[in-house]
Amino acid sequence: MVQQATESEFTLDTAAELAAAERGGAPIVGRSPWFLAWRRLRRNKISLAFFVLFIVILVACLLAPVYAHHVAHTGQNTNHILDTVKVNGKTTPVTSNGGYLNKQGKPCQTTDTDCKLVAVLPIAPTWFNAGGKFVLGADANGRDIAVRMLYGGLVSLRVGIISSAICVFFAVLLALLAGYFGGWIDFIITRFFDLFYAFPVVLLGIALGAALAIKGISWGPIHLASGDVWIPTLVISYVLIPYVGRPLRGQVLSLREKEFIEAAIAQGASPLRIMFSELLPNIMSSVLVFFTLIIANNIVLEAALSFLGAGVQPPTPSWGTLISDGQTLIVTRPWLSLAPGIAIVLTVLSLNVFGDGLRDALDPRAKVRVEH
Amino acid sequence: MIRRRSWLVAPAAFAAVLAMVAAGCGGSSSSSSGNNSSTASSGSSSSGKTFANFRLAYDTGIDYLDPALSYTVEGWGIMWNVYLPLLGYKHVNGPDGATIVPYLAQDLPKVTNGGKTYTMTLRSGLKYSDGTPVKASDFKSSIVRDFKVDSPGVGFFGGIVGSDNAKSGDISGITTDDKTGKITINLTSPQGDFENILATTFAALVPPNSPDKDMSSKPLPSTGPYMIKSYKANKQAIVVRNPNFDVSMFDGNVPKGNPDRMTIDILGDPGVALQRVINGQDDYDFQQPPPDRLSSIQSKYANQIKVYTPANTYYFFMNNKVPPFDNLKARQAVEYAIDRTALVRVYGGLGQPTENILPPTYPSYKKHDLYPFNLAKAKQLVAASGDKGMSVTVWNHDRGNDPKATAYLVDQLNKIGFKAKEKIINSAVYWTTVGNQATKAQIGFADWFQDYPHPLDWFDVLLNGDRITQTHNNNYANFDDSTVNAQIESLKKQPSLTSSVNADWAKLDNTVMQQAPWAPFMNRQFIDFFNSDIDLSCYVQHVLYQFDFATICHK
Repeated sequence: MVQQATESEFTLDTAAELAAAERGGAPIVGRSPWFLAWRRLRRNKISLAFFVLFIVILVACLLAPVYAHHVAHTGQNTNHILDTVKVNGKTTPVTSNGGYLNKQGKPCQTTDTDCKLVAVLPIAPTWFNAGGKFVLGADANGRDIAVRMLYGGLVSLRVGIISSAICVFFAVLLALLAGYFGGWIDFIITRFFDLFYAFPVVLLGIALGAALAIKGISWGPIHLASGDVWIPTLVISYVLIPYVGRPLRGQVLSLREKEFIEAAIAQGASPLRIMFSELLPNIMSSVLVFFTLIIANNIVLEAALSFLGAGVQPPTPSWGTLISDGQTLIVTRPWLSLAPGIAIVLTVLSLNVFGDGLRDALDPRAKVRVEH
Repeated sequence: MIRRRSWLVAPAAFAAVLAMVAAGCGGSSSSSSGNNSSTASSGSSSSGKTFANFRLAYDTGIDYLDPALSYTVEGWGIMWNVYLPLLGYKHVNGPDGATIVPYLAQDLPKVTNGGKTYTMTLRSGLKYSDGTPVKASDFKSSIVRDFKVDSPGVGFFGGIVGSDNAKSGDISGITTDDKTGKITINLTSPQGDFENILATTFAALVPPNSPDKDMSSKPLPSTGPYMIKSYKANKQAIVVRNPNFDVSMFDGNVPKGNPDRMTIDILGDPGVALQRVINGQDDYDFQQPPPDRLSSIQSKYANQIKVYTPANTYYFFMNNKVPPFDNLKARQAVEYAIDRTALVRVYGGLGQPTENILPPTYPSYKKHDLYPFNLAKAKQLVAASGDKGMSVTVWNHDRGNDPKATAYLVDQLNKIGFKAKEKIINSAVYWTTVGNQATKAQIGFADWFQDYPHPLDWFDVLLNGDRITQTHNNNYANFDDSTVNAQIESLKKQPSLTSSVNADWAKLDNTVMQQAPWAPFMNRQFIDFFNSDIDLSCYVQHVLYQFDFATICHK
């Protein structure tokens, strides 16, 4: 039996004990906000289903080397232009013979008569009828599209995740500085955000990506060759910082006026401590949601930049470069562009739906979204 | 697709041989019998059928539309009918197209002083498109301007007395008289190819007050049947009739032209270009159709196709001054590592594999088989060269099927022990980038198209070590072999291509390829595709300039 507490001894714990006593003695366990969020998320089956889909895509891409070496028996950039493959026991060329040919299929001189133009076509999807080779067909260089899809996914996901991490890191840092200190620091940081807002993201990405794709990066100790995958990663993270930083700064500005911050200041806490121990935990739910949503956003941006030649450089595959590569064969081999396109759609959809679920779970009242 | 134009370097007395060369080889430019191939008739190219607008689905290969600077088929194809030199070529099909005729000059030059002095007289009454009279002194100022704007064509004029000081604004070897129209050119030594040099676009006359900078976006006044009205890079060029052009002044050497206007739509995607022509949005597809569309084009539009093979060689250059390709074994390894048949297939099968420098349409061509595909041998050579594991950057531009050839080469280089990667850059800056010594391009894609059938057009321009330059270098391989240089100089003096001279050129081809400065891989075929409104009886496939836009007509 719980002893009745005097008014001065009454605490929230006491209330919990009293309530437990009324229910027959079962103690009420305190729930952290994270636990409550997880409980809400767990109930959102659609979000979890899409998260599983994302994990499946991620794992499939991580297994690209295994698939390439043990199933498709080729490399991501290996050309098989003149090779043949057995499809259902029938020998099939990876790229068909074509050109200006006579009736015997031999090349003609321009002056020869009775010759016709014949298309060169890469092998269509074999759908596992060729022992795992060319499951999704080949491109004009006879490269296995399924293998390049998986390796390309690895690159796209890597660019998407790492650029998001870099972007969010700097956005949080700038938001904390601007929101907490205010004044001229806030002025400079917000003008920096405004400067980036002045340019459409894709155009800015193209400009930076194209310039750096030719010259590479050489800033002090940092040297990146022109074709390095780190270049689109950094470009994408750079151009999106304001789009994450600005709403977070707004949240920090709001929190800065709360009593618990004033209390921390009154207790003599240092600005660093206030920013990282008081403010950061309070915007963490938004940060997490932003991080999830911006991965999807960055995967699309990488694809766009790579498609336009300002992102990942050939022969390194990414979903964007694969769509671009397949463009010239879009009429006869649409699968070359459709397959990476579908992969992007599924990945982005899975991350967006999961991100929405996460937002609902962490803070159902929040209106966090990536807009540009 | 890069279609690169070479310099016109030929003995003047070579005109008769041209006919022999083209006819004897059955070159594409004179082709006749294929149902899709270009016709061989060499009659007048202009039928007099004028029409309002000829719309071209062009590619992005225009480097400049300034006669002093352009050095691509795309640029010259447009400017051939815009900026006229003193001399030029007949606008006809077949070997006759290589015949030099007077354009702005009244007659062919009078050559005196042991071949060192050329004298011509400007036609009287000529005007630029803006109405300004054309003067004899404009020739001198145009050549001086070439030097001032660092034209890739200045090498042509190096034999003129005083050319060393041309950048300062004067070239003493050229004297002119505006009253009589007399132009005298003095050379330091006899130069049998000088008439051909005078027929290049670099020698076209532009007004004397033309700024010494690229004027592509503000086109200079012209002397030809057309003038460039506007040019927006990578978007569109509009060419219209020159109101001050009088066809009667040119003795039939320059056609009036059939289209009143040419709208040149610059498109990045060959599939889009093809579709625009099929849809009737454009009349002519300058680009090559995607390889997978050939069968459908053949079945649906067989009568709208012309297949031709200009004299050309597609190759990978290997920079002899930069590791690892300063090592013969490394270069030879590349030769063995590429399967040329595979590369032809990358281009839709439209071409013939080759490892010769000269194309097979030449009498000097003698097929050699120095480097059959042998990956194992290539690996051995890389190992023996001591360059195994070395990083190699393969350069190319971003247009047409050419990047696919680079992707193949990179794969092969990685297979034989190099650590290769691609460097694909915009086609507009590609040639100037790899032609700049500061770039130190190790290996990369290149192609070359003849201006007229002479081996000098290949060996002297592309492989003569004495002609290596710091910028605008055409010898991308920086190949400089004193024996080869001497042999080129010796053969340059030959007035005609006799069988023994041809044999010497063939031997030189073999000698050079043993040093492997290039890895030639293909002589390419091309397709001209038109929409159904175009009357192909007017089609002129010129031996040097390929399809002549000015002489085409509507049905």
